[in-house]
Amino acid sequence: MTLANCILLASLLFSIGVYGLLTRRQAVAMLLCVELMLNAANIVFVSFAHFRGGPGQIFAIFALAITVAEVAVGLALVLLLYRKHGDTAIDLASETKG
Amino acid sequence: MSDPALLATIALVAPAAAALLLALVPPLRHRGAPAAFVCIAGTLVSFGAAIGLLVGRAPGAEEVRVVVPWLQAGGRTIAEVGVLVDGISSVMLAVVTLVALCVQVFSVGYMHDETRRGYGRYFAYHALFLFSMNLLVVAPNLLQFFAGWELVGLASYLLIGFYFAKPSAARAAVKAFWMTKLADMGFLVALLVLFVTTGSFEWTAVPTTAVATAVTLLLFLGVMGKSAQFPLHVWLPDAMEGPTPVSALLHAATMVAAGVFLVVRAHPLFELAPTTGDVMLWVGAVTAAFAACLALVQTDIKKVLAYSTCSQLGYMVAALGAGSAFAGFFHLGTHAFFKALLFLAAGSVIHAVHSNDLADMGGLRRKIPLTAATFGIGALSLAGVPGLAGFFSKDLVLTQVEGRAGWIPWALLMASAFLTAFYMGRVFIKAFLGAPSAKAEHAHEPGLAMTGPLVLLAVPSVIAGLFGGTLAHFVGAEYHTHFGLTPILASAMALGGLAMAGLVFGRGREVALMRTLRSLDSGSVVDRSWEFLYRRVMLGVSGVLGWFDRYVIDGLMNLTGYATLESGSAVRTLQTGRVRDYALAVVVGAILLSLFGVLR
Repeated sequence: MTLANCILLASLLFSIGVYGLLTRRQAVAMLLCVELMLNAANIVFVSFAHFRGGPGQIFAIFALAITVAEVAVGLALVLLLYRKHGDTAIDLASETKG
Repeated sequence: MSDPALLATIALVAPAAAALLLALVPPLRHRGAPAAFVCIAGTLVSFGAAIGLLVGRAPGAEEVRVVVPWLQAGGRTIAEVGVLVDGISSVMLAVVTLVALCVQVFSVGYMHDETRRGYGRYFAYHALFLFSMNLLVVAPNLLQFFAGWELVGLASYLLIGFYFAKPSAARAAVKAFWMTKLADMGFLVALLVLFVTTGSFEWTAVPTTAVATAVTLLLFLGVMGKSAQFPLHVWLPDAMEGPTPVSALLHAATMVAAGVFLVVRAHPLFELAPTTGDVMLWVGAVTAAFAACLALVQTDIKKVLAYSTCSQLGYMVAALGAGSAFAGFFHLGTHAFFKALLFLAAGSVIHAVHSNDLADMGGLRRKIPLTAATFGIGALSLAGVPGLAGFFSKDLVLTQVEGRAGWIPWALLMASAFLTAFYMGRVFIKAFLGAPSAKAEHAHEPGLAMTGPLVLLAVPSVIAGLFGGTLAHFVGAEYHTHFGLTPILASAMALGGLAMAGLVFGRGREVALMRTLRSLDSGSVVDRSWEFLYRRVMLGVSGVLGWFDRYVIDGLMNLTGYATLESGSAVRTLQTGRVRDYALAVVVGAILLSLFGVLR
């Protein structure tokens, strides 16, 4: 296991997340993709901390905490979307059109 | 507070209290008769105080000045209010309150047919007027004077427009208001100039000659408006739309004399500016002659008296221009009595025949002998028949302008003296002599409320002239009666004018000159030029300014708003409302940022 492999893994994970974020229509799926991207970042943090040292692991912990908060808000929004429209297709939420 | 100051304050507060009471207690006003009582009570108290002031004051005594700070700014007092009691103000106060008292008592009879509410309103305005007039008479500085000046203007507006349901009265009120306001702009600017250059509003302020000239010329503009001098006189004849006692009080005896009083008061200032004196001399003389000509051809008895007032104010202004404040003040005093008498007598005539038109009168001598007698006394006094009040003061005015400006103003005033006698003779003959007209058949003498003031005013109209010396001594001026060219010529003019009137109008004829004058009058040249100034020049300039304001000033504002709105609606299309577009924007933004970081 080398640093390069770890970064490669993180890049792949991030790309999958971006791709999913841009292509999925369901709000839950988009949330999952955002989680993937965040975890890719976490992998980069811990890998660098492991191979090079430094405070990266602390940042990973912080990022996890933030993720939890984000998911809580995100799922609440999804729930509201479902209650209002009976579906979680993200395109239903377009009230902010200018 | 010293005694004279207390009396002056009482004279000031009594009508103010009456006005406030009538303004704040509607039932009093709406019931009519109690309003007259309150108003006259206030005037009576004021008159009593003024007489007390006059009697208790030794001739040539020191002036009494009691003031309280009014405007305070920047750690100093800018202006004060209070009372200034000296010879001039105590005499003026007595004249004003006496005439006001007579007029108000007369009004009780004259306005009897009004509705109760109208009756109450009338007396409320009267109380307001008397307070305003007294305020300016005792003013210790120019600023308080200006406040009183504007207040009498307001009272004048309200009283001219008393019959506001009548379009001509409403129009006359507005006309009087804006003509005098136009002139008052001069007064206002004069106040500002005086304050900026000397830092005070005092009567005794001493500016440089140039400033004094500017200030006095501007003040004189205000005087021209208030005292109806040519060419700002046009509002006065129209002001006759008001009730006749109002014309007697405001537009003959007191308010219009406020302009003259201002010059008398501010005499130290006017003495510094000889140029203004020359202007006043000419304006006064021209007004006297011009208005006397127009008085000759009026068919409305009140308009004759109105033009005659203009003419007599011209005399006063000319005297002031010649540098004799006392001559102007003396004529002001005698004129107040006999002109108030004439107007009230005219009111009695109008009351008797229910018409202003001279053609509806005639032969009233037998129907209303007392009115005829008192009107006759007033007319003789105004004409300047030797021995009566008008003679002495007019003679003094004429003596003062002797030899000034190449004798031309003197000649103009002398000619006006002839015309005055001539037109007063005409009015008297047309109204009281000859055969009665249909309307005059049923005329009858009015009640005591109306005849009393007539008799009361007739007394000073006869004898006031004899007190010239006393008055001069009282206000600290010089006065000598003398025999010379002017008094003899003036007497000749007066008697000649009356005799001529008897010869011409006694036989029902006219002078050829009158036809020319009549067409001039019906052409109302001065009125038309003001109308032209207003409609063409002023509205034109206003139009241009309005266009500039609407399209340039407002245009800039509107452009700013429009540009903001338009750019906003251009940018709003970016907000699609679709979450995936925002996600894409975030991703693209992140990619661009990282590219920027790598390639930098």
